[in-house]
Amino acid sequence: MHLQLGWRNIWRNPRRTAVIMIAVVIGVWSMIFMGAFHRGMINQMVQNGIATLTGHIQVHYTGYRDDPAIEKSMAEPEVVQTILEKRVPPGARWTARVRVSAVASNARHSGGVTLVGIDPAREAQVSFIGEAVTQGHYLRPDDEYGIVVGEALVEKFETKLGRKLILMSQDTDREIASRAFRIVGIFRAEMEATEKQFVFVTLTAAQRMLKLEKGISELCIVLPDRHEVNEVADNLRAALPPSKYEVHKWRDLLPLVDAYLSLFDTFIYIWFLVVFIAMGFGIVNTTLMAVFERIREFGLLKALGMKPWWIMRGVLTESFLLLVMGMAAGNIVGLLTIFALSGSGIDLSAFAAGAEWAGISRVIYPVIHAKDVTMANLVVFILGLLVSIYPAAKAARFTPVEALAHT
Amino acid sequence: MTKKLCIVFFLLLLISAGICGSGQAQDPQALVQASFDYYRGKASFATVDMTVHRPDWERVVTIKAWTKGQEESLFRIIAPPKDRDNGTLKKGREMWIFNPKVNRVIKLPPSMMSQSWMGSDFSNNDLAKSDSLIKDYSHSLIGTETHEGMKVYVIKSMPKPEAPVVWGMLELKIREDHIFLSQAFYDEDLQLVKIMTAHDIQMLGDRLFPKVWKMQKADAKDEYTELSYKELAFKDGLPEHLFTTSNLRNPRR
Amino acid sequence: MNVDVKMAWRNIWRNPRRSILTMTAIAFACLLLVFMLSFQFGSYDTMINSAVKIHTGHLQVQAEGYQDKRTMRLVVPDPGAIGSILEQTPGIDAYTYRANAFSLVSSEERTYGIVVIGIDPAREANVSTLKKVIRQGSYLSAEDTNQALLGELLAKNLQVGLGDELVMIGQGRDGSVAATVVEVKGTYNSGQDEFDRSSIHIPLKHFQDVYAMRGGVHEVVALGKSLGAIPAIRKAVAGSIENEDPKHVLVVLDWIDLMPGLIEGIKLDLISGLILYCILILVVAFSILNTFLMAVFERTKEFGVMMAIGTTPRRLTKLLLLESIAMTVIGIVVGIIAGCLITWYFQVHGIAISGMSEVVRQFGIPERMYPKLSFLSVTIGPTLVLFITSLTALYPALRVRRLRPVEALASV
Repeated sequence: MHLQLGWRNIWRNPRRTAVIMIAVVIGVWSMIFMGAFHRGMINQMVQNGIATLTGHIQVHYTGYRDDPAIEKSMAEPEVVQTILEKRVPPGARWTARVRVSAVASNARHSGGVTLVGIDPAREAQVSFIGEAVTQGHYLRPDDEYGIVVGEALVEKFETKLGRKLILMSQDTDREIASRAFRIVGIFRAEMEATEKQFVFVTLTAAQRMLKLEKGISELCIVLPDRHEVNEVADNLRAALPPSKYEVHKWRDLLPLVDAYLSLFDTFIYIWFLVVFIAMGFGIVNTTLMAVFERIREFGLLKALGMKPWWIMRGVLTESFLLLVMGMAAGNIVGLLTIFALSGSGIDLSAFAAGAEWAGISRVIYPVIHAKDVTMANLVVFILGLLVSIYPAAKAARFTPVEALAHT
Repeated sequence: MTKKLCIVFFLLLLISAGICGSGQAQDPQALVQASFDYYRGKASFATVDMTVHRPDWERVVTIKAWTKGQEESLFRIIAPPKDRDNGTLKKGREMWIFNPKVNRVIKLPPSMMSQSWMGSDFSNNDLAKSDSLIKDYSHSLIGTETHEGMKVYVIKSMPKPEAPVVWGMLELKIREDHIFLSQAFYDEDLQLVKIMTAHDIQMLGDRLFPKVWKMQKADAKDEYTELSYKELAFKDGLPEHLFTTSNLRNPRR
Repeated sequence: MNVDVKMAWRNIWRNPRRSILTMTAIAFACLLLVFMLSFQFGSYDTMINSAVKIHTGHLQVQAEGYQDKRTMRLVVPDPGAIGSILEQTPGIDAYTYRANAFSLVSSEERTYGIVVIGIDPAREANVSTLKKVIRQGSYLSAEDTNQALLGELLAKNLQVGLGDELVMIGQGRDGSVAATVVEVKGTYNSGQDEFDRSSIHIPLKHFQDVYAMRGGVHEVVALGKSLGAIPAIRKAVAGSIENEDPKHVLVVLDWIDLMPGLIEGIKLDLISGLILYCILILVVAFSILNTFLMAVFERTKEFGVMMAIGTTPRRLTKLLLLESIAMTVIGIVVGIIAGCLITWYFQVHGIAISGMSEVVRQFGIPERMYPKLSFLSVTIGPTLVLFITSLTALYPALRVRRLRPVEALASV
């Protein structure tokens, strides 16, 4: 009954209803879309961070994080690996790496890089590199002298596929280790810094070059669900002697991303609130207008013995319908926009240097997050009804006399 | 039929030419080794003026150098007085430097190996890997020239596939009396990067030897480093203790 | 007062509640935009200023080519002369001299190739934050010679602590061997890991002795009083430097040359901010459109009467526009005033941003942010609001022309 009455009332002035609904639609759309855009940005930041060799959990020899020197490598990886196999949840993937700083050089250039020795098959399931090679091919297990380098490094060194790169580092005897590699693959990464920093060779090649034997620098684990990190990390910590091994979660390894994440929610809720306030003025004003237009009507109803509460409920029902319709349309338009952009993403290449500086990707793919959508709708709905109380109360307070006196 | 005969004949000619060629000319590997041995000797001692030249600037350092076999060298600055007694020891692929002012011997980390040696156009690597020419390359003869009436072999040296050398190719010129005339360093596109040339061949020590060696970058004509021998003596051997870090530290010997 | 204006004014106050709500909406939008833009601009200023304070400064005088090549011999031979030019240039807050040399730095345990930076302790403290970020030990004093400050991460890598010795071997300006032993006097944590991992500071005098600089330096680093004054200062300084020898040209670089990524980051942030503001203004525009529309439709009868007594549609449009614009202008003025007051409060007291400490550390943003009122930050938002609301007001104002007196009078 109420709904029907309300429904008819709001269409008594279709133009006015349409205008305020447009305001609500734009507001809700901007909340949904901006939320998804920023969520996409932050998610990519997290994913990039995790895929750029961080993983969800890392195990190192104790002290490696403070001083990533070759002496701090794990000499008996199989001990850790057996524990890992037992302790990580099914579906988790993990890989072993050698990671040392090295100097790369060719005939004309030389510069510092991070040499990463990887198990090609396992690494591909854990980090970005498996799918990042754009020219040539990804490392094969038997690529004794193959190296995969980033596009930016290739440019910096004025080199290309098939060319040599000599790597020098310090081996476990503290002697200079050098080895010639041939560029078999060139990768692209989200960040130019990644392309310049990392060069990949096979684990065995790195171990031989550095005289590491079976030794590795780190174990990197990716869990099927990011939220299990704490549990699994605690579990591993309990199983590995702390005198020899340290376990780190991605949040420890990527403090900056972690800080962004915690800041993100605050930022987006502030945005929701600001947009709502802008919209709220419209809602109040429009509802007020609708109320004043019907002063006589309300006066009459009152005179007929209708309780103020009923009138109030009637006005609130109108707001409710208005909000629900606006929200529905806003959500649909928002979701459609996101859907339309989810394929190609939003290209920020024009601001590549700026994006790089801010640590965000060159292309942003908006991500719909149930929490953000719910939050946006809740803000609009609850606050929308709250601000409608004012005109509703106004309507309920008209006395029959003043109402009938009003022209 | 005639065609077939022709081919057989041609092949025979080729083979015989090959046999004759290798018979007459030097085996390039041996030639390079012989030349290397010639200019390094079993052991040597030299005093050299090193001039680093830049368009607006020049500096001369006098260095005493001892070498033994293919892998050991010791360099010590004797002038200018300010830099006196700074030394460099090279053993195998490792290098140490000594500075009298701080009285410390420091082993060069890998990150420093591609840096210039004493501000010259030689890198630490050039020194550390001086025997790389013998170990890391396969040599082939690509032509001959004449120099002061003597035959000069032009040798193309290609790095062995797994050799840790940055160059794409070297081109050596070695005179038939094993005197080294030039060594050109090419990148992998076979573009010249730098070239070392030898000049003023004269009697030094007990043999004919280029008095002046010049290392020049291909793209900067006005920048070079020149080594000029003031004194050179070849020896049958030098005591092993000479090439130790404690001797590097103790320059009064 | 013109009759039309008077009428418009009275009309506004015929329904004070509605008009006030409309004006509040506009004022709110303006207030928010003034504050947000001031905050954004302020944060850029803080970001730039703190980034330049960690290292580069606003301006640097260097030998031409030094920025790219970092060659020891490319020096500013007579830093004192540049110093006196800077002294005489208005708008310079502080300046200092620095010299850099890539050297072998060796502890008992480890050896690394690192850039050693010679600084003038007293002047440096006015230009960079180095003195403030010392975590252990103390900052260099004027009498110090072979004492060094190094980044915490570098100290960790070299495995040294306060009082430990470090050996530095490099090459002097004249190509000679430069060597010295220094004692670790302090370690710092600038927050920028890259910097903390790869830099070591020693007193400039000692640096000049060791590296045979013959009084030369590599960078004269200056800090301006305000960011806006930098282009003018740059021009003035460049004009005062006498480059007599074409082979040794000194150039003036500003923070954009020295940190190219920063300005791009700011552009991106500004654009994303503007998109947000436009959306916001659009929402506001639709929210107030109804008020403007109502001003027409509620008064259909009234307009009918006016037209019947000979008021031209043109005049009606003018009246309505005057009404809307008056409301908009009042809203904007109130918004600007309130916005400025709020912004000014925070400009004085700062806004603490909790939970941002890491972001803050890496980007060198101080933990307290200060919005900054400027002509642009105060005008951009309100101008946009004025433009969009005027557009919004145009629709009902033009709509009124379609009214026919007879129909209008017939309507309720």
